[in-house]
Amino acid sequence: MNRIILIIILVVLSFQLYCYSLLNQYYGERLLNYDPRSLAMGSATVAGGNRLFTAFVNPANLVLQPEGISAQAGYKIILNSENRSLPMYNSFDAYSDDAIYVSNTSYYLDPALAVAYHWKMQEYSLSLAAHYRTYADMGAEYEEEVRNNDNSDYDSYPPILAYNSIKGEGGIDAAGVTLSAAYREFLFLGLELVKLGGKNKLIRRLDWSDQAYIMMLGEDVELVDQYSKLNREFDGLSFQAGLGLRIDPRWSVGISFRPKVDLDVSGDFNDVDIEETVFIYFSELDSLNNPVPFDSLTYADFTDPLRFRAGFSYQPRNIMKTFFNCDVEYVKWSDINRLYDDQINYYIGVEHVFRQKTPLRIGFRFETEYGLYDDHGLVFARKITTPTFTAGSGFTFLERFTLDVAFELSNRQYEALDLFPDDVYDYEPLWENYYYLNLEDRGWENPDTVEETFFKVSSSISFNW
Amino acid sequence: MRRLIILLLIFLTALTNLPALLDLNTASLEEIKSLPISESQARDIYLYRYYIKFFESIYELRQIPSIDQKTLNLLKPLIIVSHYQDEDEIAQRRDEIYYLIERLGSNEGFQEGISDVWEDYLITPRNINKLTYFEILNLPNVSPVDAAAILSRLAYGDSIANYRDLRNSPGISYYGASNMRYYVNYENEPLIRKFSINYQLKYSDAPYDPDAVDMFSESMIRLVQVDEDVDPATPTAKRQSYWGYFNMEDHKETVANKIRMNYLNNWKAGLLFNSSKGERTIFKSNVENWWDDAKYYLGYERDINFQGRNHLKIYLGNYRATFGEGLIMENTDYYSPRKTGFGFNKRIIGITEDLSRTREFSLKGFALDWKRDNFNAAFFASFDKKDAVVYDSNDNGIIDEDDDLLCYINLTHRFANRELEEIEDYINSYENNLNQVKIAPRLDAVQENILGAHLEYHPFVGTHLGITGYEAVYDRDFVVPQEGELRHLLITEDEDAAEKWKISDNEIESLYSTRSSVVGDRDFRRVYGFDWGTVWNNTSFQGEYAELEVDGDILKIADDPHAFLLTAYTQFENLYLLSLYRDYDLDFDNPYARGFSESERFDDTVFERLTYALNNTLLTDIYLNAAQPSAERGIYFETRYRFHEMFTITRAYLDIWERKSDARKGIRFESRFEFRPIHQVRFRFRYKYQLKRYQDDLDRNRSQTDEFEPAFVFYLSNFDRLQLGYVYTRVKQPPYLSILSDPAEPDPTGEELGMDMAQANTLSNGDMIYVDFTHNFNDNFKILGSFSIWKTHGASLWDFEDVELDFYQSDRGFKYWFNLHTRIANNIFLSLKYKFKRFMTREYEFRIFNEIPSAGPYYYERVQREETSIRLQLDCKF
Repeated sequence: MNRIILIIILVVLSFQLYCYSLLNQYYGERLLNYDPRSLAMGSATVAGGNRLFTAFVNPANLVLQPEGISAQAGYKIILNSENRSLPMYNSFDAYSDDAIYVSNTSYYLDPALAVAYHWKMQEYSLSLAAHYRTYADMGAEYEEEVRNNDNSDYDSYPPILAYNSIKGEGGIDAAGVTLSAAYREFLFLGLELVKLGGKNKLIRRLDWSDQAYIMMLGEDVELVDQYSKLNREFDGLSFQAGLGLRIDPRWSVGISFRPKVDLDVSGDFNDVDIEETVFIYFSELDSLNNPVPFDSLTYADFTDPLRFRAGFSYQPRNIMKTFFNCDVEYVKWSDINRLYDDQINYYIGVEHVFRQKTPLRIGFRFETEYGLYDDHGLVFARKITTPTFTAGSGFTFLERFTLDVAFELSNRQYEALDLFPDDVYDYEPLWENYYYLNLEDRGWENPDTVEETFFKVSSSISFNW
Repeated sequence: MRRLIILLLIFLTALTNLPALLDLNTASLEEIKSLPISESQARDIYLYRYYIKFFESIYELRQIPSIDQKTLNLLKPLIIVSHYQDEDEIAQRRDEIYYLIERLGSNEGFQEGISDVWEDYLITPRNINKLTYFEILNLPNVSPVDAAAILSRLAYGDSIANYRDLRNSPGISYYGASNMRYYVNYENEPLIRKFSINYQLKYSDAPYDPDAVDMFSESMIRLVQVDEDVDPATPTAKRQSYWGYFNMEDHKETVANKIRMNYLNNWKAGLLFNSSKGERTIFKSNVENWWDDAKYYLGYERDINFQGRNHLKIYLGNYRATFGEGLIMENTDYYSPRKTGFGFNKRIIGITEDLSRTREFSLKGFALDWKRDNFNAAFFASFDKKDAVVYDSNDNGIIDEDDDLLCYINLTHRFANRELEEIEDYINSYENNLNQVKIAPRLDAVQENILGAHLEYHPFVGTHLGITGYEAVYDRDFVVPQEGELRHLLITEDEDAAEKWKISDNEIESLYSTRSSVVGDRDFRRVYGFDWGTVWNNTSFQGEYAELEVDGDILKIADDPHAFLLTAYTQFENLYLLSLYRDYDLDFDNPYARGFSESERFDDTVFERLTYALNNTLLTDIYLNAAQPSAERGIYFETRYRFHEMFTITRAYLDIWERKSDARKGIRFESRFEFRPIHQVRFRFRYKYQLKRYQDDLDRNRSQTDEFEPAFVFYLSNFDRLQLGYVYTRVKQPPYLSILSDPAEPDPTGEELGMDMAQANTLSNGDMIYVDFTHNFNDNFKILGSFSIWKTHGASLWDFEDVELDFYQSDRGFKYWFNLHTRIANNIFLSLKYKFKRFMTREYEFRIFNEIPSAGPYYYERVQREETSIRLQLDCKF
């Protein structure tokens, strides 16, 4: 009964709005792993993955599934809490801390489904699978209210001057087939071919409030709302190859290789073809220290970098049945542009099975991403690292079904430019103490500090017949 | 008789005709399948033995889900289980000493490198009958009296056969014997496994210390007044500081990869690659060649039977050198207050490998250590580049290679030299900025070539006399400017350097210069001295004298800056007494000195107090990471006394000292008491009292601290543990005049609050409640955790976590952490810690980008902050 209640709760939880970090508003959140068992183990699963979804990380894992028909259906819910703050200065004018000025909390959901069939032919095995999943989620949700400084002395809310928002929808879906073969339960090979496609709409707007219009009545300046819209459609293919070796009953090693993926992107940005709209310029300083563009990225450029992942799975003798997985991933970020450095990600996890039936999985992973920023014509890259603590469990029911649940907790902090620069509100009638205010755009001399907390829940049901 | 023989024959025949019982611990899968059970049940039994454990009883079969009682009853007459013995000697030993290895692995700071040495002893213990005096003394918690007791016995031709024999050695203490029991064996046992590898991965994203954040956040721009009517306000731009300029918000993780290899206990090698927060990665380095910053060694050690016991060590690469009481040479970056060299503050004397995170004071080169019964000798040479503070000594407006050095610096964050030059250009070219950077740290600024030696003679057991000396040769000059020049070099000109300079700052003026007014210029620093020790009955006396050559005669004692330390240690079965006297000259500036002291060097100088006024805020690191002891003179007493089986003074000490720089006198007393009515319940009480500047009631620097900590500890079943504690602290000190006006002239308008406050002693107090717990799920998996909530009211509190130290300076907050320890296999250990802290910071003034009311400053009373961090440690030992 408790299990049924748990399933119902997880299903109900899944029907939520979705959103994710604004850091990825143009490139989306890549969702490489959906398997809750390995997610709970820090996502370390390139070797010895024993669920269908682990073939997303290493196609060679597919043939490790039991003989016959297997299926796995699951989803991932992400709770993203983002606080943006501005710098504070102490009485000696030194930067001392940050004060949060806007806070957004949102959810998003991404499903995945895979079905496979496994044949055994004497010393050889062959598995074939088809799957569907979200490859990159481009949902984004940001809301900010700009209020003036009137009436706050009486513990009531000051009037709203403007509503700022960013809203992203859609993403890139993946539908693919995986073929995997094994020889003598020793050598495993796998290939994955995926068709990528999807749509994305990103709207950024600043809407003045009625109150703001009233306050500006009689002034020479007219308030104008801001609105921009980016529409994109994606199309492309991705390929992945994997290798697994079971060295002995305790040790397995695995390798997966995914080459760089360049997607064909079409669409428009404010009704202009995105091929002609530049997202960012790369510049060099001339002799007078003025930035001179030499290259650019348009909204039509979309590259997923090469990934090479290697790891092992070890099953020692332990009074709790134990699996220890460890992966290291090389990401060739320099594939995207020359400002990015190649990085190494770490994934470590362990599964202990208590009393021969209840698994407890814990893990850690450490990943690196990048953001591109324009500072007065000069572009630079910001490396943003995300450490994640993971845990999870699972159980088998009705003999053939297995439910796995994973929880992931991440916290990251980085600096970013103000999403809606302050000079837009620089009208004296809107403010009570205009003289004391400094409504200039804050550049990198006074950037926002962004703190994000991710709480992710993944769940899946596996079936074998 | 015949009948008896016939009966016996029948019995034996019956026995031989019995079907053979199947031993589940040795049977193959095929043999198990031959039992009257299903194939899947047979496979489950086989897998249980292979992946879970060997059977200790046939009834353990019921642990397997597919084996029910009926199946067990069926199998009972057909099976047996034999006693299983693990054949891997090292794995077996590791299993026995698991908890000791775990404890060593969690050591940080100055203990970090020492733990590696002790762990090697644990895994491959050495024959106690062949150890020399310092080899025994180097074991944890072993006193000179214990070491002498063992050697005295061996000197009579006796040998120690086992632990009981060791324990019965006349003069040895219970603690000494019980602590060394796992680190030694009693005969030369052959090693089954010749080659071993230890790998360790450490990850941590703990934030910078609050003091370091303040240092990096402090503005480097101070504007000059260009208009008489307008006060020059510092621009409120985050980029004006190191923190903002280098986006240090993004600095996150520290990752260390360490590998050590041993072959036959003779050959040793190791490599450490440590990537600190925001610094290099394997793909990108702050220095030209990342090998320069990696740590590595190759070592050879062996016992030699040549006219007695001999032990020889040769190391290439990074090594650690420690002699005497640490006054001349103990190369670690980490300062440890009240480091007595006894008990938990142990030094390992001699040459050892070094893969600790020490980087500024690491020694890199080669070293030789030869120990025998009555004579020890060590020679070491190091050739390494060191970070140093460089200033514009030639006044050409730039800091470059032609300039002189002020001192070594152990940087919290090692910005690349090109980054430092970049921000200095930015600061210097800032319009109307008065604070032109004249002094700055530089990476690898000076080539330091060290040659040193230690010779030691033991005329009889427990007595030694040694001499130590080293000479460091530099390719650049260390020059301390004259008094007035120094002030204006360190403090921004408009800050009125003369007023801000205090008497305690003469510790800075006392830095060593290679240019001497008496003997002229030179390119070296020379430190030498002697140490001694003797054991008389149950008391040992030891000490060290060190001298820094400035302009005196090399053969004349006390004509140059010197340091002196003397200790006496007496031990009884349930009591020890330690007395220590030290006297360090202010001019004794030996960067490798790590002797006992109450505080680190540069405490209370402008480097600590005036970050906001320093010409370069990074100079604060000279204090923050100072590893040298402060120049002080004082006497220290310490004891532990178990006076009843229920009552123990676990540690009590009293220190009375005088700081040489300003003659400030201080007292510190701390006592820990334990009452144990029954074994499972303990009541602990800690009291600390500290009084600084006790000779002058009216001095600004006078402060008095009292701290109380009662705690209940419950030892539950299965080694679980629960501790409930409370800490109360209070600090009494005179008011800070700089924030209060003269009460004789109150503000006539009365608008500025606080201006009329009477001047009297201020009292800050704070308290904390905490719960610590340990729960063992089983032998291989446990969780440690803690929850604490505090309110400081201006005082500050320390929290000792499992492997880290946290400092609560904020007004109020709460914190929880938990650490999961799992022994994945008997050679793989994983520890994963998660910490969350939410706290209110102190008052801040909002200036810009925010509303300011028409009159008066606007204060936000509290600002809430949150910190989360993860710490991972993975140890693999093969």
